[in-house]
Amino acid sequence: MQFEESTVNGIVVVKVLEARIVADIAPQFKARLIEYVNKGNRKIILDLSAVAFIDSSGLGALIGSLKAMGNDGELALCGATDAVVNMFKLTRMNKVFRLFANQEEAAAALA
Amino acid sequence: MGRKVVWRDAISSDRRNGAWRYLSLCSLSSPDFVCRYVKILLVDDDPIARSIHSMLLHLQGHEVIEAADGELAWRLVEEGEISFVVSDWMMPNLAGVDLCRRIRSAEFDRYVYVILCTSKGAKSDLIEGMDAGADDFLVKPISPEELRVKVRAGGRVLSLQQGLADRNRELATINSQLQAAHKLVEDDLKAAAWMQQRLLPQPALHARGLRCEWRLEPSGYIAGDIFNLFPLGESETGFYLLDVCGHGVPAAMMSVTLSMVLTPDATHGSPLKRYNSATGHFDIRSPEDAVHELNRRFQFKDDRYFTMIYGVFDAYSSTLRFAQAGHPSPILMKRGEKPAVLGEGGMPVGLWPKIEFDCFEVDVNPGDRLLLYSDGVTESLNGDGETYGEGRLLAYLTQHPLHSMDDMLEGLMEEIGSWRAGSDFTDDLSLLAIEVTEDGIV
Repeated sequence: MQFEESTVNGIVVVKVLEARIVADIAPQFKARLIEYVNKGNRKIILDLSAVAFIDSSGLGALIGSLKAMGNDGELALCGATDAVVNMFKLTRMNKVFRLFANQEEAAAALA
Repeated sequence: MGRKVVWRDAISSDRRNGAWRYLSLCSLSSPDFVCRYVKILLVDDDPIARSIHSMLLHLQGHEVIEAADGELAWRLVEEGEISFVVSDWMMPNLAGVDLCRRIRSAEFDRYVYVILCTSKGAKSDLIEGMDAGADDFLVKPISPEELRVKVRAGGRVLSLQQGLADRNRELATINSQLQAAHKLVEDDLKAAAWMQQRLLPQPALHARGLRCEWRLEPSGYIAGDIFNLFPLGESETGFYLLDVCGHGVPAAMMSVTLSMVLTPDATHGSPLKRYNSATGHFDIRSPEDAVHELNRRFQFKDDRYFTMIYGVFDAYSSTLRFAQAGHPSPILMKRGEKPAVLGEGGMPVGLWPKIEFDCFEVDVNPGDRLLLYSDGVTESLNGDGETYGEGRLLAYLTQHPLHSMDDMLEGLMEEIGSWRAGSDFTDDLSLLAIEVTEDGIV
């Protein structure tokens, strides 16, 4: 499970360096994201531009992280590829998650 | 303390006394006189040499068994318990080097450490002895100090070897315990798989104007996918296919629970019906109403969820009505028309108290078909990491329009199977094909 961490305008950006977020890495993926939440990050941008595919377990991990952030936290996704966007559309998760084209747009929206 | 065992060759007290005197001069003063206890088979045809060496070894704390020639020694080694041999080279019957060869070629379950004693110490002897599998050599006359250190070195080798053998035995025990535990789990899973299979519809099930065929290929023994088809009311037939997020036992247990709940039997509080207090009857819920009711009942409070298609066929109005909650779009194959994808999705069930999803209704005629499937079908990967996808599924159905439902599913399973060949992709895979029959339209 590879993440690359940076900050844009003071907001933590986590870039996922895995091509596939699927059942075997989903639990670890969720645990790592929740670590960021537990460290007190109320705003997180998740960069999915390197992710080519996400399955139902991967989606579950994302939803679990979103739920863990609670009402006072904000999770924004950016750079989702076509296959990932299609998955979000099929499950209407595009109405639950905030999706942006890139890190800058996400940071501007969360600012 | 060492014990001396005299075997088939008495040693006279004179010789013993002589040896004691000899030893008192050369060995008793050694600071580590008491070395690790080893049971040694001492082989020598010369009774004097044997008795001296035996006494030396005995005084050094070892147990000694004596043999007067190679054949006798071989029999003792064969009988077991001997792991250390100190043998003279030149002997009648069986020479020391041949005894050594015989020991090496036998498949004992223990290691036998062999020291050969030569009188000349020639290089050619050493090479022949090593070839025969000797571990070490002593040159006659044998110095007590050399005997002591070489036996001690051999003892160390044997004790390491023994430790290794003990560890291996321990590992073998653990391994067999693990195998037994694994078998228990496997048997449980097989039993669970059998029970899950029994919840699925009978092959070629025919219920009120609909006929179905299906395929289910769990990623393990049991699946998180489940489906069914059942009569609901006077003219209605219900059917569903659902996929619990994840796979394996947790997903399968949830899928079984859901299959028990998703029955038309209203006495168990079916989410598919609603009690009408005005009429005193149970009304059939519309698919969207039923899915909302399921979502109300299954709020997991974590990230578990399931996706599903739930549909109701009404023979009076010859319509099919579905709700699509986060599940891949079903494919409608109307007679004489190209297969078409229905619906655009919706939220999965179980995540939030309020969800939205697609609901649609289509008119159907006898011979029209509907294919429901889980994402394991379209997300199947080939060796290059490419997904099978909805496009290929549609293309297959377009190219094989006249097959019977059974042939259609068989062909699809073969196609997906060959697509998956070479990838280690694992997810539950399910297909449910439904056809409107001639008696379906009232």
